[in-house]
Amino acid sequence: MEYSSLQRQVAYMKKRLFDQGYLDEQFYQLEELQDEANPNFVEEVVTLFFRDSSRLMANIEQALEKCPQDFHRLDSFMHQLKGSTSSIGALRVKNECTQFREYCDEGNLDGCQRSFQKVKREHAVLKQKLKAYFQLLRQIGPTERATPPGG
Amino acid sequence: MDPSRAAASTASSGRPRDGVGPPPDFPAGLRVLVVDDDPTCLKILDRMLRKCLYDVTTCTRAAAALAMLRERRGAFDVVLSDVYMPDMDGFKLLEHIGLEMDLPVIMMSADDGRDVVMKGVTHGACDYLIKPVRMEALRNIWQHVVRKRRNELKELEHSGSAEENDRQKRALEDGDNASSASEGNWKNVKRRKDGKEEEEVEEREDPSTLKKPRVVWSVDLHQQFVAAVNQLGVDKAVPKKILELMKVPRLTRENVASHLQKYRLYLRRLSVPQHEARLDTPYTGASEATFRSVGSFDGLDTQALAVSGQFPPQSLTTLHSGPRRVTTTGIGLPSIDQVGFFNSSAQMANASNIRPAMMQQMNNKQLNFLSGPSTNMESGQHGQSQQLVESYGNMGLRVGEGASGFFNLPSSQRTSTSFPGGTINVNLSNSLPMQMTQQGQQFSVCQQQNRIHISMPRQLQTREQLLNEILGEYDSRLSTPMGHQILSNEVSGHVSGRGRSNMNVRTSLREGYMNASSYGPLSHALYADFSNSGMNESTGSCYPLASGAGTTNFTSIGMLQEALPPVGNVETLGNSVSVKGANDFVPDYDLLSDVRQSKSQDWKSQNIDVSYQSAQQLGSKQSNIDFGSSRLAHEDSIAAIKDDKSRNACTVRKEIFSVRTEIEHEKGDCTAQRNGTILVENSLRVMAEGMSDLSYQEVLFDDNIIQNELMNVVGKKQQEGVGQVDPEFNFDGYSWDDIQV
Repeated sequence: MEYSSLQRQVAYMKKRLFDQGYLDEQFYQLEELQDEANPNFVEEVVTLFFRDSSRLMANIEQALEKCPQDFHRLDSFMHQLKGSTSSIGALRVKNECTQFREYCDEGNLDGCQRSFQKVKREHAVLKQKLKAYFQLLRQIGPTERATPPGG
Repeated sequence: MDPSRAAASTASSGRPRDGVGPPPDFPAGLRVLVVDDDPTCLKILDRMLRKCLYDVTTCTRAAAALAMLRERRGAFDVVLSDVYMPDMDGFKLLEHIGLEMDLPVIMMSADDGRDVVMKGVTHGACDYLIKPVRMEALRNIWQHVVRKRRNELKELEHSGSAEENDRQKRALEDGDNASSASEGNWKNVKRRKDGKEEEEVEEREDPSTLKKPRVVWSVDLHQQFVAAVNQLGVDKAVPKKILELMKVPRLTRENVASHLQKYRLYLRRLSVPQHEARLDTPYTGASEATFRSVGSFDGLDTQALAVSGQFPPQSLTTLHSGPRRVTTTGIGLPSIDQVGFFNSSAQMANASNIRPAMMQQMNNKQLNFLSGPSTNMESGQHGQSQQLVESYGNMGLRVGEGASGFFNLPSSQRTSTSFPGGTINVNLSNSLPMQMTQQGQQFSVCQQQNRIHISMPRQLQTREQLLNEILGEYDSRLSTPMGHQILSNEVSGHVSGRGRSNMNVRTSLREGYMNASSYGPLSHALYADFSNSGMNESTGSCYPLASGAGTTNFTSIGMLQEALPPVGNVETLGNSVSVKGANDFVPDYDLLSDVRQSKSQDWKSQNIDVSYQSAQQLGSKQSNIDFGSSRLAHEDSIAAIKDDKSRNACTVRKEIFSVRTEIEHEKGDCTAQRNGTILVENSLRVMAEGMSDLSYQEVLFDDNIIQNELMNVVGKKQQEGVGQVDPEFNFDGYSWDDIQV
């Protein structure tokens, strides 16, 4: 099969995302769920994720400021975030979430703060990368997208 | 979420249940309810499940999920729930579901810590998935549905004796879980299965055990029991002393022991306030409708029902009673309610009435009915038999539209009390109010005279207790030999005619079965199992009971069984719908199998199943099954009931299914008559086992007389040892015509 230049670009981008650990295997699962009847499924899910996770992170941020000693609450928020990040395969973000939770368990507020910053950063980076990725995908067209070239 | 889903009238998703049996492409069409507060996960799960060709309904709040489950009983086969949710702990939800609906629940979480997983297990979850959930993991969730049903069936089969019941109870009690019925159930099941071999062997080998006559825990008897227990102190009460205090001849220590076990469980359940609340809620709400319909029952002649004494647990009574009192509170039926029940049902006198119709009704609607309203019973007519329908947990009595037909049962008094555990339908005297609770619809089945059918779901024990209490309150006359069968309605409630796997039903019945064998009356929560299968939404898809033996039809059959009070008393056969006592009924999972008669072993489980099925069918469709006689004609005559016990079960089932299907299609208001006929049908079926002459058709028609006769006949047959119904559920299409009254 000949890949058009765009397709190659997309493939390359995707490969990099995986290689660099931004995405993991779960992302493949999402792609498998995409088909002709649901051609934009992955993008929809990712969009939903970012919207929801932004809200969660705002809550965490607020909790860190207002009631930083409530580790239980922080942990609970982060648990939720971790759940959704893992479901879309956002590996790096998930790892940072895990780290955050460990600090929570220890009661290490400072560790939590630092860790949270990392979470935010990874979250922002991933958002940007995926945005670019989907933009490119859209250019390719639905059919190609439905069966993305192996990453 | 999905427009198609919204469009579906009853089913969670577009897939309608046509009542012809489990979908041929099972597990496709498996009805899944997913609860997760995370929208991302929810969306992914939804898509994955749809890709597995399941019928998916999603929910972000646990409370909404519970409400949905309650409203649409029998609409779901399995529940997938997240562990950490903001409004309710996933484990709490798990407990609720286990108690009320007895559906298999699968937990999910990103947390894979051993403790959390262990918690899931102990709370009764059938599985625990670690997020991110993969498609492969979801593909196989149907196995839990099947497994649960099979377990319940097995329970039914083996719960033939009191010992078994005891064992089960012990298992349950041992199970630490006080937390949820489901847990208990699971344990119970597991234990049963594990210990079954050893214990069963012992028991089976003991002829006396097997042949032990069932003790019918009539209201009076139960009251005596409760009085004795209270005198001794609940904690200190030991069977021996209770026996001494009761001074009832022919009552053995074992009877008391197993009854005590159930009672204790019941009490334990009652102590959970939320259950109560829950109980009330679903039922009360539903009861409104039922009440109204109940009123219409007046016409029905519960007496007919009473005759057979079998009384479909699905107490119509509850339906009837205008004042539906949902005793809900789960706590057992407050005696008050009970009393009310009994009194009202007293009217039921002749079995001739409606009973058959009742049965049908019961079948149709979930067996579980129960809604506590004890006094209901419509006017004096139903005085006679009161059905105490207690719904465990949710079951509550809900009288569906169709139920209205049933309600006419004159004397059916149904008292349904919803217990946390399930529903107990006590059929007192002849009234056979059958309450079939279907998703929201509950038929109350007229009770037969003196028949107290209590269907107890798995969690029977507590229910039985409740039932016992209730029974105790009942008018003495009500307590007929049949005693009460407690239909564990948890499940039965669901029997809405959906043949679909309502596994829940089964599990609940399990206990019931056990009891049934020992007692006859209460214990047979056999019907409970019914619920699991039957619990399908009443709306519709009446799954053929027999269909797919062992497949998803569980529900329907199960329901019926539950609905059918154990036909303990031969005399009043009326409740043919009652659960068949056949403990050893080895249903293929059809509801039939579930229907067990706690009563005499004679009854083929089929019979009960059949009745239930019909009831279910009736019930399933929003109770208005228009069963006209014509319908019956279409149905395979039950007469085809083969002598082979198993066959009977099958045939019965078939009939029921067919009935159900009809019912489903009908969706009309079932007139009391119809119900009566249906009940009759059911009863007929039951009888058919023993008596090939019964013609259901006749019975079905709201010809009270016929019903009465049938009941009587059935009753007699039972006495004669109708035999066991072969659990094999294959509906060969019995024809109603075969059964000649």
